[in-house]
Amino acid sequence: MINGTVVDLSRVQFAATALYHFLFVPLTLGLSFLLAAIETVYVTTGKPIYKRMAMFWSRLFMINFALGVATGLTMEFQFGTNWSFYSSFVGDIFGAPLAIEGLMAFFMESTFVGLMVFGWDRLRKGQHLAVTWLVALGSNLSALWILVANGFMQDPRGAKFDPVTMRMHLTSFQQLIFSPDAQSKFVHTSIAGYVTGAMFVAGISAFYMLRNRHMDIAKRSFRIAVLFGVLATVGVVTLGDALGFVDAKAQPTKLAAMEGLWNSRPAPMAFNLIAFPEQAEQKDVGAVRVPMVLSLLVTHSLSGTVPGIDTLEQQAVQKIQNGIPAVEALKVLAHDPQDAAALAQFNAHRADLGYGFLVQRYAPHLSEVTPAQIERAAKDTIPPVAAVFWSFRFMVGLGLLMMAFFVLATLYSLRNRIQKKRWFLKVAVWMIPVPFLANEAGWLVAELGRQPWTVYGVLPTWMSASTHSVGYMVFSLIGFVTLYSIFIAIEMYLMIRAIRLGPSEPGGDGAAGTWPPPTLAPRPVPAVPYGGNVEG
Amino acid sequence: MDTFAILQVTWWLLLGVLLIGLAVMVGMDMGVGTILRYVGRSDVERRVALNIIGPHWDGNQVWFILGGGAIFAAFPLIYATAFSGFYVVMLLLLWTMILRPIGFEYRSRIEHPAWRNAWDWVLLVSGAVPMIVLGAAFGNLFRGVPFHFDWDMTSYYTGSFLGLLNPFALMTGVLSLSLSVMMGSLTIMNGAEGPMYQRARGLVQVAAAAALVLFALGGIWVHALAGYQLVGSPGEGVPQTPLQQTVTLAPGAWLHNFSVDPLLWLVPLVGFAGVIGAALAARAGRSHLGWWSGALGWVGVIGTAGSALFPFMLPSSADPSMSLTLWNSSSSTLTLLWMIGFTAVFVPLILWYTSWAFWVMRGKVTPESLAGDEHAY
Amino acid sequence: MRSFLYFVLFLVIALLVTVLTAILGDEGAWYFAWLVGTTMIVLVSAAGGAMLDANEEQAAQSPPPAEPRRSGAGGAE
Repeated sequence: MINGTVVDLSRVQFAATALYHFLFVPLTLGLSFLLAAIETVYVTTGKPIYKRMAMFWSRLFMINFALGVATGLTMEFQFGTNWSFYSSFVGDIFGAPLAIEGLMAFFMESTFVGLMVFGWDRLRKGQHLAVTWLVALGSNLSALWILVANGFMQDPRGAKFDPVTMRMHLTSFQQLIFSPDAQSKFVHTSIAGYVTGAMFVAGISAFYMLRNRHMDIAKRSFRIAVLFGVLATVGVVTLGDALGFVDAKAQPTKLAAMEGLWNSRPAPMAFNLIAFPEQAEQKDVGAVRVPMVLSLLVTHSLSGTVPGIDTLEQQAVQKIQNGIPAVEALKVLAHDPQDAAALAQFNAHRADLGYGFLVQRYAPHLSEVTPAQIERAAKDTIPPVAAVFWSFRFMVGLGLLMMAFFVLATLYSLRNRIQKKRWFLKVAVWMIPVPFLANEAGWLVAELGRQPWTVYGVLPTWMSASTHSVGYMVFSLIGFVTLYSIFIAIEMYLMIRAIRLGPSEPGGDGAAGTWPPPTLAPRPVPAVPYGGNVEG
Repeated sequence: MDTFAILQVTWWLLLGVLLIGLAVMVGMDMGVGTILRYVGRSDVERRVALNIIGPHWDGNQVWFILGGGAIFAAFPLIYATAFSGFYVVMLLLLWTMILRPIGFEYRSRIEHPAWRNAWDWVLLVSGAVPMIVLGAAFGNLFRGVPFHFDWDMTSYYTGSFLGLLNPFALMTGVLSLSLSVMMGSLTIMNGAEGPMYQRARGLVQVAAAAALVLFALGGIWVHALAGYQLVGSPGEGVPQTPLQQTVTLAPGAWLHNFSVDPLLWLVPLVGFAGVIGAALAARAGRSHLGWWSGALGWVGVIGTAGSALFPFMLPSSADPSMSLTLWNSSSSTLTLLWMIGFTAVFVPLILWYTSWAFWVMRGKVTPESLAGDEHAY
Repeated sequence: MRSFLYFVLFLVIALLVTVLTAILGDEGAWYFAWLVGTTMIVLVSAAGGAMLDANEEQAAQSPPPAEPRRSGAGGAE
């Protein structure tokens, strides 16, 4: 039988490696399009300063990109190594977008990234611009297919269980890729990446402005980044709302956990601005409520309601009872796929097969299942409420903070007063970690909120893991933690070093001129290193 | 044969194509990593070697990722069973593979000799170990892998890590390493001049000789191994699980396909001819021709393994009747069909833009060309 | 104070846009929206950079105005 400790360790390992991978990916998604924007200005205006800008930011891009690629390898293989039952059970559906990701997106991104870095002197301006755009497009298409796969885990569409092969089969590819969850989640995540890239560029540019270094590059980068960021934050909040709207229908348990909604209430429902959920007692200890807002947020109407946890648990009990005969019929079919009675029984109960699996954790012999075991499995269908509730609020709070930041930054930048607002520049530097934290919190909401399922309502997490020994899991976990800690230390060191070094300057302003670019004509404008600002 | 069976065989062939792509493209970069410390005696020379593959290693590595993705999509049961069964070996593969991107990208960013020297060792390990592991994995397919299934297709692996390092598997591991060193040396010849070129040319001869000996040895050794034979199953192109077939073991049975269809002997012949051609072309100084001939050698070697194993993909030594074949472990018709569509559109596209990238970056890398280039590794 | 009022105004506009698009997008064609939105974001930000250049060139041609607070010139102090 499956060992609970192994499942927990597998979950810890997956969460750790995924959260780590997700530190680098959003920056790649956003920074690649920012590079495209900068280079577009270079090609259309022909001003060499934009080439230096593009080269500088692409140097930082590559430091980040290397780790994104490296940790992505782990993700691609971890489904097989640690979630083998999951992989064979839904590989028919889940594997396809992963393979298409490689074919359509990752190949394009990786091939052209080589040309982007090495091709400056070998490609014509327009060709190089096209290459940069293709890198950006490739990395975001990559995210698209990964999130189509994730969308299936959140809201399984376009598939059904096949009792002959004992695994899920694809029934509609269109339903898979146009699933509302996949659509809104892709756009939300991709644009969250844009916000991350924009904050990164804005923060580092502010760092230079504070020290009066590379003013010409810093001001331009800041301008481009904040415009990019202000539009992106609007997008990210919009799509976050769309995602909540979709989840309200597809995953009521996640929504109930996000909102700390222990009891069903009549419309219009109040929104828990702050609350302290107690899972054991199934209530919120103290809450600040805003009337009517929940109905508005998740149903976009005042008369809409969403079920509370009490209702959802009662529904789960019924589904579990309905799912048990399906699992029992399946055991017969495993040995004799032709058994007509078992097939009829399976078909009558197939909708709740996953709930039958769920209770098997407590009742390995389903014929002897007790009401207490069913009750316990039904309680399991509710994810950890406090963690999801607070991750969600943390993410939204940071998102709104970033929106306010970018609006103000745009205002200052457009009025050309940014370099005088030293307090704001300091804030900008401190804002750099914010989008990264918001991204991680978003991952937690999505994936923790889906528990106890790997595929919502279809396959429980406890069944999905590989049957390793605890020793193997401890070994691999220690290995990943060690390697990844070394990586992040090296990455941060190189990143900070590259930032301190700064972009190459034709006049030798500010930066140590370790890479004098012989190809660039000297700029006509003299640059004064410190003190008086003679831009323009 | 009905549609499903045709799709299954097509995907089996496509997987072979992807594995060959992986072996040729990733293998060449890994080979360069393995021989980096030998062909490059100074930091400048090592930088020349790294910059020869610098613009391409990232794209090439996607063959590896695509290989994983394609197995997942087309043969999910193989992906799940093999990757979890080979757990420690997979970790070894992963941990060494993830060092590579970082090694390439970070090595030359700091000028300190100790820093660079350390990364050169990392690149050596992350070039050699994955090739040995990949080769050994193939070797273990011939030996069978100890796994079995529950009623609900939960898989259990009952072997140990050391069991995967048996002599036959180690031999195939070294075979794959020597082929990758051969291709890496040819790649250095394509892109470098002077002493580096000469060292690489010598290495091609050594690696090719090793590969020829090991490949021939494998052919003899396989006679003595117990081969798997499918004696009863629900049929080809019939949806099934691995719980419904009968498999027997017989010495030399891995050569059964060759005796049924003697034309298959051409495949190992292509392997030998390709490797010999590579060595001869390198000696004659025609390294580009040698590279293509070496790639043909990979086609022959992997093709030979595939021809012998067909229809088995992951034989089980714990319970041979639970062995995974292409008939019982593939995805459904619809998935295979959609995936063929995507493959048919995108693989030619990939080949096209990869060739373009190589064409753009064509020519020799020299220490002088690196000196003035701020993007170089 | 002026800046603060502008800030509040623009923040309100941003929130209003968000609410409007949220209402419009209940069952949105999000893939299409992403294509259009991304292109727009990239081009608008690129145009912002180009605008900064234009302002600076203009300022370089004419002497800086008497009151720097109101000027559009980049960084004139």
